[in-house]
Amino acid sequence: MSATKQHKVRDIFVEGPIDPDFVGESIAKHATRHDIGAHEVFLGQVRGDEVDGKPVQAIAYTAYRDMALERMTAIREEAFARWPSMTCLHVHHSLGTIKTGELCFMVLASAPHRQAAREAVAWVVDRVKSELPIFGKEILPDSTHAWKVNR
Amino acid sequence: MKVLLFGLIAEKAGASEIDVQGSSTGELRQALTGRIVGLDRMMYAIAVDRRIVHEDIPLTGSEEIAVLPPFAGG
Repeated sequence: MSATKQHKVRDIFVEGPIDPDFVGESIAKHATRHDIGAHEVFLGQVRGDEVDGKPVQAIAYTAYRDMALERMTAIREEAFARWPSMTCLHVHHSLGTIKTGELCFMVLASAPHRQAAREAVAWVVDRVKSELPIFGKEILPDSTHAWKVNR
Repeated sequence: MKVLLFGLIAEKAGASEIDVQGSSTGELRQALTGRIVGLDRMMYAIAVDRRIVHEDIPLTGSEEIAVLPPFAGG
């Protein structure tokens, strides 16, 4: 029974930007977990890159939802296998139009000690960027656009 | 069979899904190239039942097929 629970598919997607207050609240929720000694957080912010000399004003994110959530479940399970001391892992990604300067991605790992939390966050961020089918349309001035590609 | 399209490829096709015939992923690639202008010059991956497939594999027609441009998450 507990095995089925672990395989539960969690929805990582949120419509619109990630509120900085939500980041604080997410950390605050762990205050009752006295086995935690370290939180590591990664926050992705929409960068105002220049495309053909025009500044990116926003990124409109879409995703192949079912595949993204399936991949995320596998990444999550592998992360807990690699860092068994990790207490919890929270991943959120925005969909819809996110303005330059707003937050679009959050990974929060908590563990008894800093090393597991740090390593897990760095690893999960890289895996999400390379494996989740999320697409970004960079909105430029004069209503033109370009498609973002992760390097 | 129904093929899901995303991002730049959905934009080029003017649709989020199209109906294409093919008994393998190789045939599907050929059929898609005939239907979506410029696809042969784009980077894309084919996902069969939500897993990316690099090799040419047979299809029964009951799979969930998707054409995916480069990822941009994070």
